[in-house]
Amino acid sequence: MNEVVLQAQGLTKTFGSLTAVDQLTLDVYQGEVFGLLGPNGAGKTTSISMICGLLKPDSGNVSIHGLPVHGGQVEAFARVGVCPQETILWEKLTCLEQLEFIGEMYGVPRKLARQRGDKLLELLGLSEKRNKLSSTLSGGMKRRLNLALALVHDPEILVLDEPEAGLDPQSRVLVREYIRSLAQEKTIILTTHNMDEAERMADRVAIIDHGKLLIVDTPEELKHTIGEGDVLELEIKGITPELALSAIEQVLPNSLVSLRAAERSSAWRSNLPHDQEEIASPPTGIRNDNILIRGKNIADQLPIIINTIQRAGGQVGEVHLRENTLEDVFIALTGRRLRE
Amino acid sequence: MKFLSVLRKCAREQKRDLWILGLSLAFAPLFVFIYWMFTGGNATTSYGILVINHDEGITLSDGSTWNAGKESITAMEQLTFKDGSPILRVNSITDRPTGEKSLRDRDATALIIIPPDYSQVIAAAQGGGTPTTTLEFVGDLTNPYYTVAAVMAITAIDNYTIAMTSEYRAVELLETALGGSAARTEFEIYIPGLFVFAVILIMFQAAMMVARDIESGTLQRLKITRLTAFEYLSGTTTWLVLIAIVTVLVTFATAAAFGFRSQGALWIAILVGIITSLSIIGVGMIVASFSKTVSQAFVIANFPFGFFMFLSGAAFPVPMGTLFTVAGRDISLVDILPPTHAVAALNKVFTLGVGLDGVIYELSALILLSVIYFAIGVWLFQRMHLKA
Repeated sequence: MNEVVLQAQGLTKTFGSLTAVDQLTLDVYQGEVFGLLGPNGAGKTTSISMICGLLKPDSGNVSIHGLPVHGGQVEAFARVGVCPQETILWEKLTCLEQLEFIGEMYGVPRKLARQRGDKLLELLGLSEKRNKLSSTLSGGMKRRLNLALALVHDPEILVLDEPEAGLDPQSRVLVREYIRSLAQEKTIILTTHNMDEAERMADRVAIIDHGKLLIVDTPEELKHTIGEGDVLELEIKGITPELALSAIEQVLPNSLVSLRAAERSSAWRSNLPHDQEEIASPPTGIRNDNILIRGKNIADQLPIIINTIQRAGGQVGEVHLRENTLEDVFIALTGRRLRE
Repeated sequence: MKFLSVLRKCAREQKRDLWILGLSLAFAPLFVFIYWMFTGGNATTSYGILVINHDEGITLSDGSTWNAGKESITAMEQLTFKDGSPILRVNSITDRPTGEKSLRDRDATALIIIPPDYSQVIAAAQGGGTPTTTLEFVGDLTNPYYTVAAVMAITAIDNYTIAMTSEYRAVELLETALGGSAARTEFEIYIPGLFVFAVILIMFQAAMMVARDIESGTLQRLKITRLTAFEYLSGTTTWLVLIAIVTVLVTFATAAAFGFRSQGALWIAILVGIITSLSIIGVGMIVASFSKTVSQAFVIANFPFGFFMFLSGAAFPVPMGTLFTVAGRDISLVDILPPTHAVAALNKVFTLGVGLDGVIYELSALILLSVIYFAIGVWLFQRMHLKA
């Protein structure tokens, strides 16, 4: 196993009566992409702020290569680059000037900061904008510049808070590919409420909710924790979903057992709108009369399932088949969707 | 040197906000120009006097008419400053209501009513008699010009009557003007206050420049780099001091172009301006520490601005009780305000023509206040905005 580069132990932060982060303990290994997955308000940004030294924990500690972050160890900070969720730029400085300035703030010589700045602008498709004020950039370009500012001092660890949030499709692809390329040489910690992003990019994912760390593992292992196989979603007509489930349970008992409790929860059965953000699951069309069935090779069982429902007096409308996702893991752990 | 990088960043940002920089630099020179126009350019102030001459005069033995009232008016008109310009602008009117209206409207500063028997009484006095009559002065006693106008008019009339009646004057009064105070035009009298005002305005720019980094979140980015409050504020302060120096020089140049004459060395006044700006910027940093947005900084900055303008003597003299005495100097509450010392020092240099040794106390006080305010600013800023 690789060396632990960042270690957080028992991090706790409260704001008044709200415990934003509760006893967070995690290790991040050298060269991995570590994802912090959780819904909005789960405590991801607070955790990141403490890890970066922006926020002092009420208890617990963070160390980078054994150097405490909250103890005036400047060397520890130089090893971390932070890309905040919000686009934070100096409106009256050009792209290159900002990179040069922030580089100098990290102790990078001016000339080197300019060279690195130029290189970063090129890699992030902003070369043509190098001498333009940041206020003249589009939203996607600003986000890319925001990322470049976290990298100009060549940090060993890159912390990305919701890196794809608010990005246009073109910028999203560019940023995603760039982060992937960075992952070969840097340790990356990213927070996201987007399970697709976490699944695609992270080597290991920590799921947090209400400030508590629920589980940490690779995306594949996390999905295995709630059972293997695919998820089949059926629109039921003519009979109640409960009756349909009961009938299917009798013919395919092993397929249903692991999922019913979570997937039949009100969260799954609600008509939540599918908004602009990327959400791989649940698929479109979930309605109150839908049922969800998980099992290995479940698609092969589809004729049996349809036949069973028809024998019970019902009809099958729309049918969706998909793979297990981290959202399923989150629901299994919390009984709620990530975006609730 | 991170502070140099912050300084360069401030300069670049300011370069792209040229109209703000331009307004800041133009403000004081513009006011110098406005005051120059309002005070009649380089002319000394003359005070408007209205006179109702009821004096009936007397007929002399040779058949001619003698009117002492008219001669008193002439005596008032002949009062002049050293440059020959009249001290009193005398206008004769015929009715009291018109005169009182002019006083209320402050078109004139005093109304003098000469009695009908004025010539008669003076003539009787010339003959050895002791008759009396009453010359009435009417005026708004809250008008600061009234006192000066009335004293000047009384002096002219008094000198005339003493000369006419050959009365013996046992005590002669000698007025000795300190430095060049006798030769100051009203325009020149306003310059120290305007000058301090220009420097005080830097406080707004200081507070708002820092607040912009707070509001936009860029300070958070700098916080991650472990930039200290001292590095950040010293870089920002250095830039603002450069602006202050330009402001001071442009203000002086404008004033000089409109005829302002300093009795003392100009470089001392500039030095006073620069050190004053340091302390004012320090206060601006304290304001920024309590601000989260630019507009909040602007509103908060008005609070010290009010103290600076109205309690420091920049606008008008303020009586303050002594708190304690240090090395023979009375220290009052207003001594914690940098403009108090700036106004005192500039008046000494501009009007009284003192050298560096004459303003050492004020300069020392300004340096001390600069250090104190800057240190408080750094401490507060670190606690309020850069603490994890």
